Amino acid sequence: MKIIERSRRKFLQGSVALCVYATSSFAFKEKPQTPTNSITPYLCNMCRNKCAGFARVENGIVKKLNPNHYFPKSRNMLCPKGNAGIDALYDSDRLKYPLIRVGNRGDGRYKKVTWDEAYEYIKEKLVKIIDEEKDNRSTIAYCNGEGFNKNEYIQFFGSKIGSTNFLDEGSICLNTKLGATLLTIGDVGEMDVAGSDYIIISGANRYESLITPDSVDMLHTQQKLVVLDPRCTVTAQKADEYLPLHPGTDLAFCLSVIYVALQEKLYNKKYVEEFFQDFDKLQEHIVKNDYTPEWAERKTDIPHKKIRQIAREFFSAKNPLYYLGRRSVWSQNDFQLRRAMVLINALAGSINREGGIIFGAPIRLNQEEINEPLYNASEGRFDLDGIVYGSQKGGAWLNFREKVVNKTAPYSIRAMFIRKHNIMQNMPNISKTKKMLEMMDLVVALDTMPSDTVMMADVILPECSYLEREDMVVSFNRLEPSLALRNQVVKPLYESRSMQDILKGLGKKLAKPLFEISAKYDEDLQESIEEMGMRRAYREGGYDLSELYKQDISERNRKLITAQFGEKVYESLKTKGVWYPYIGEESSLSNEYYEYYPKEKRFYTVPRDYKVHCYLKKLEKNGFDAMPTWHNSYDFSIPKEHFRLITGRYVTSTQTATTNNIVLKEFQEQNYVWINNVVAKELDIKEGDALVLSSSLSSIVIKAYPTNKIAPQVVWFAHGFGTASAELTNAFGKGASDNEIIEDKFEKIYGCATMHETNITIRKI
Amino acid sequence: MANYAMAFDYKLCINCHACEVACKEENGIDLGAKNHRLWIEEEGEISGDFWNLKRDTLTYTQMQCQECQDAPCLKACPNGAIYVDTNGIVRLHKELCDLTLACMKACPYEARYIDERDQITDKCIFCADTRLAAGETTTACQITCPAKLRYFGDLDDKESEISRVLQERKHFTLKSELGTKPKLFYLE
Repeated sequence: MKIIERSRRKFLQGSVALCVYATSSFAFKEKPQTPTNSITPYLCNMCRNKCAGFARVENGIVKKLNPNHYFPKSRNMLCPKGNAGIDALYDSDRLKYPLIRVGNRGDGRYKKVTWDEAYEYIKEKLVKIIDEEKDNRSTIAYCNGEGFNKNEYIQFFGSKIGSTNFLDEGSICLNTKLGATLLTIGDVGEMDVAGSDYIIISGANRYESLITPDSVDMLHTQQKLVVLDPRCTVTAQKADEYLPLHPGTDLAFCLSVIYVALQEKLYNKKYVEEFFQDFDKLQEHIVKNDYTPEWAERKTDIPHKKIRQIAREFFSAKNPLYYLGRRSVWSQNDFQLRRAMVLINALAGSINREGGIIFGAPIRLNQEEINEPLYNASEGRFDLDGIVYGSQKGGAWLNFREKVVNKTAPYSIRAMFIRKHNIMQNMPNISKTKKMLEMMDLVVALDTMPSDTVMMADVILPECSYLEREDMVVSFNRLEPSLALRNQVVKPLYESRSMQDILKGLGKKLAKPLFEISAKYDEDLQESIEEMGMRRAYREGGYDLSELYKQDISERNRKLITAQFGEKVYESLKTKGVWYPYIGEESSLSNEYYEYYPKEKRFYTVPRDYKVHCYLKKLEKNGFDAMPTWHNSYDFSIPKEHFRLITGRYVTSTQTATTNNIVLKEFQEQNYVWINNVVAKELDIKEGDALVLSSSLSSIVIKAYPTNKIAPQVVWFAHGFGTASAELTNAFGKGASDNEIIEDKFEKIYGCATMHETNITIRKI
Repeated sequence: MANYAMAFDYKLCINCHACEVACKEENGIDLGAKNHRLWIEEEGEISGDFWNLKRDTLTYTQMQCQECQDAPCLKACPNGAIYVDTNGIVRLHKELCDLTLACMKACPYEARYIDERDQITDKCIFCADTRLAAGETTTACQITCPAKLRYFGDLDDKESEISRVLQERKHFTLKSELGTKPKLFYLE
């Protein structure tokens, strides 16, 4: 039996009578909404990546999504998920109406209400909570998992309502990488994959987790590709060199690459002299600790000769790049692992130049001004207590949840607003997230699909999909910067609304009652009221919560864009979805593939006053390593009869967001656990056998996929499956959820969840 | 009037399935994994033990109707339902098809499947009744591909990109020993 990783074609050959008439998603599309035909430029939202496309609408129905060749970032391509966006729009499981819970949390019993009834319900609960908390607005936590509209969402709940407790996916995704780059070279930068002739990738799987332009550039550029991974992914399969290694030992490899560069003086001396700070400390540290390739071989199992060869090749390449990856929260050493990668790039001089980490010249968009009220009673955030740096914007989820659940937070969190952030599935230890949500007096979800998290909400506000709304213009990229606009393709289906319209209604409902609570507790506001009267104090103090939404979004875009860039840019964004200085002048390189910025106009190198910081004093002060350092606790060691669990995803899925998609599920309906074929044979495990995987937290059942593509002591399965919400009819009951069993540990530099540190046992059923 | 063909820079494929989804959406192919006009065939497998894998033994091959110039399906159909259109594409008179399945049996490339909705045997026709009919000059699979590995165009136009790439690069056809003369070319 071959159930996965195989073409599914060949079981056809039977008679007609045996074929089952497939339920067609296209049947739904035959019902026209409005008799219109159009081609509309839009931006995809099937993942966080944002590629550009043109939507073809026939008789009011979106019939086809095509790539937009004007967009430098997405290089005229759409991935399988992007193509299946139509089936997200017309998913019959979508949230259609505002709902209020009538049963227990999680049991799925809701009543359909009007938008006003939903707002009224929220108002009553929120007024009571904020009154009882004496105007401490931070008792409301709010979170967001979608890239678009995030800042506006923060403006509403943070700036306008006054809560400091915003959380996003950064601490369960990429904050260690962003932070490591920022603190080492002063900027998060951008990696110029297309300009590099030699790339080392640790773990990142650019051919199955597609990111534009990186994945596309790798396919179109002649360069040497070296991949390190404990699993032979498609990226590893396609690499020029694949170096299998133990999970969590990439840092040892990096340290030995630095060792070779220093010992053999391969580094860019001119660059180091000009830009490095504390180079002597780095040199002394690496040499003193004897991070030789021989030492690294003992940690990683990569042969020392191979390490030396790769290091020499890397430093003799013209434009080498150590690719920093994206989702980067693997183990306790993650922050220093990413720093080591940045330092390797810097030692080669691959900073602020072609093929390296570039600073570039992003287009800065003007911000709309809003009037922000001051709330004296609003307390500060607590989720960064005990974290050395952390993101002031998106916080640290696991620390936040820990403090709420253990009641060690300095004040109570009593309400949560959750927008398109499936927190029941996206962070380790699901039962703890459930416990946190059960402690809330009010949970409101803004979402398009009835995810596991949405099913824990008291009030569900249906947000429309990305094809049904215009969003504010966005600036993309640094090397070839552009503006892009998500235009509305069709009107919102059912009673769903855009986020702006949802917040507008909510703002109108909440503004006055919440103002009155402030007036009751806030002495400064009381003074203002005395001085200028109630009305002026309200207006001038910025308490009108829906202030930003007085104009609709297309008007806001028109004003903002024409004021800063002029009519032509606005017109380009409306008709082509994109603007950059050379739009329309793209030269065809071959076969529908284009050159965007002429090479001499790209921002490879920009004037910038910066230093490469080898040594971070703040870390030392807090009792952590100031430089990338190996500790014996990082050694890969597994208790007898245990396996290390690592996670990732399939090319056809974006976390939990796409597993209900009726077309994408044809490619991967459920996940399977990869287990080494030799080990599987010893344990009498065959393909398709049901296995119980147990960690210290819990157990899951998942089917086996024995393969030679994974290390003997490691197992892997894709994130995004094992949905508990029965409302997601295609995804429910399919496969297993990794976060049921991943232990909730986090590192203390950025407060990021360490997802690859859980050991599990396996039992065949 | 054209002589349409396709060439694949097949080694670039990362098996991302974008072409398969784009084809289904563009051409309104019924749901179900068995219903599709094109697919990626995984040939061979990665061999060896984990620490010493041999990776070049697995290839991804783009599979679909090979647009044979001497098409076995055309000859096999007892109803004369299969014909070559003015663009050199092997097509079907839908009303003449009564599912004898002779074409499916005759096809050495397993290119056809049963379209349950229309009760016909269906296969890739280079988006002839969707994109080409609307005046487009690209196919859905070609335009969406991240690697841009699918060249599509007119063989009779010597200036076309496909003509140029076939002149410049070595290529082969599948099962050439059968003499079906496919117009789908795989670039070395």
